[in-house]
Amino acid sequence: MNDTAMPALHLLNKAPSHPRFQACLAAMDPADQLLLLENAVIALVDKTASLPAGTRALASDCEARGLSDKVAASALTDMADMVELTDQFTKIISW
Amino acid sequence: MNDDSSADTVLIVIDRPPYGDWHGREALDMALSLAAFDRPVAVLFRGEGVHWLRPGQNASVIDQKTVSRNLSAATLFGVEALYADRSTLARFQIGETEPDVTPIVVDPDFYHRFKKVVQL
Repeated sequence: MNDTAMPALHLLNKAPSHPRFQACLAAMDPADQLLLLENAVIALVDKTASLPAGTRALASDCEARGLSDKVAASALTDMADMVELTDQFTKIISW
Repeated sequence: MNDDSSADTVLIVIDRPPYGDWHGREALDMALSLAAFDRPVAVLFRGEGVHWLRPGQNASVIDQKTVSRNLSAATLFGVEALYADRSTLARFQIGETEPDVTPIVVDPDFYHRFKKVVQL
């Protein structure tokens, strides 16, 4: 299986206004998993952002920014879950 | 000439979200320093900077100090006013703000009233 077909985990910590935010979304395939960190979590309450289904976000970054009650519980990911995700995906791209 | 009472007020603009980097804190420090030297100064939150105003922040979980405490002190230390951009408050769905931080909501072109505008 060549590398492009392999599903990837995308770790995105840029705010929506950062060019790399759109670059990440553009690079994602349906089978990929997106995990939002740090500034990127504000995209969850950005009316202009369109995030792939199943997008997850680091719970501590959401709580820090007062977003915990604005995010679906299923999307909130703690550190252990994040480590688990990095174990599940062979291909990991940090944006 | 209309009444431009804000003629010599310096407007510090914060347009980056809190906690991701230090630009916002440095901009707020600049505002507090100007106020300490009795220079008229005000702060405008716009773009992603409106996240400074969101209630219920708890930055201790990422080992940082919650920024909203600095904001409530700003007007005490002589910052004339805190302003917030109406359009990005709506975009990021920020209804109310922290109890003791009540920004004046303004339109996107508000900063044109000021002769000195600083963004870090």
